[in-house]
Amino acid sequence: MIKVTRLNGKEFVINAELIEQVEGTPDTVITLISGKKVVVKEPVDEVIKRIIDYRSTILKALNEGNEV
Amino acid sequence: MDIATMAGILLGITFILIGISIDGDLGTYYNLASVMIVLGGTFASTLISYPLPKFLETLKSVKHIFLGKELDPGQAIDKIIELANIARKEGLLALEEAAYQLDDQFLQKGILLIVDGTDPELVRNILDTELSFLEERHSTGQGLFETMGTFSPAFGMIGTLIGLINMLKNLDDPSAIGPGMAVALITTFYGAVLAYMFFLPMARKLKLRSKEEIHLKEVLVEGMLSIQAGENPRIIEEKLKAFLAPKIRAKLDKEKAKESEEEAYADIK
Repeated sequence: MIKVTRLNGKEFVINAELIEQVEGTPDTVITLISGKKVVVKEPVDEVIKRIIDYRSTILKALNEGNEV
Repeated sequence: MDIATMAGILLGITFILIGISIDGDLGTYYNLASVMIVLGGTFASTLISYPLPKFLETLKSVKHIFLGKELDPGQAIDKIIELANIARKEGLLALEEAAYQLDDQFLQKGILLIVDGTDPELVRNILDTELSFLEERHSTGQGLFETMGTFSPAFGMIGTLIGLINMLKNLDDPSAIGPGMAVALITTFYGAVLAYMFFLPMARKLKLRSKEEIHLKEVLVEGMLSIQAGENPRIIEEKLKAFLAPKIRAKLDKEKAKESEEEAYADIK
């Protein structure tokens, strides 16, 4: 789950697992595997970073669980 | 100016008048009582059938039959491509300014929805709903003319019955039977002419124009959604051109080619 901002400034959360494609046109258009498209303010690199951060947060939490 | 409507009406009236004058006398065809029965009856029934606001609203739409501002699909597509290019270069938010300069209310509404960050599905829903209500309003207008077209021959019949009743009462005067019958039939004549020369053809024209307008607006919806999805303007152009009849497509391509040729020559000069 990543937080993104719509063009009108409203923040909302999108399911990162369902993202098929992110394209800068120049506005960032996130296409889900359902075919639905969402336009967000964040640039493409920012979206990628947030997805990676989300995944690494989960992995770190699992890791720390094991080490303890 | 819709030449076809004007020409059609003039031609029709002319031919009927000529047809009458060749074998008979135009004066026979005028009868005040008949005019009152047919026109009065038709309007009366129509007023009973339709709520007054709808009636007045429809009378306003009559001007579409005569004015018929030509909907130019080519111009609409050009507008979409222009907006697509702006969005491509400067992002969707830049469209807000462009939207306020638009003449077309429908297009403006759609673009403003997009700039607000509305979900594409929701945009499509809203615009489709607007289209289906537009279609409904149009069909009420057509319905009015169709109704009048149904009522006028019927009132023609009623006039004939009135004439016959009057005539049969005075059957003791045989010399009055002929003229009496003629008068009785005049109302049917008026009723039929009104229906088949005016009301029904007008209803048809409104229907066709409505279809054209809705088709064009559907093209606009596709275009706007493609802009929101960030598709390449050239691709959008090809997509929208697919909606047009091949003839119009060819005409647009030729115009484009001529334009770029002129530009090239201007550079050389």
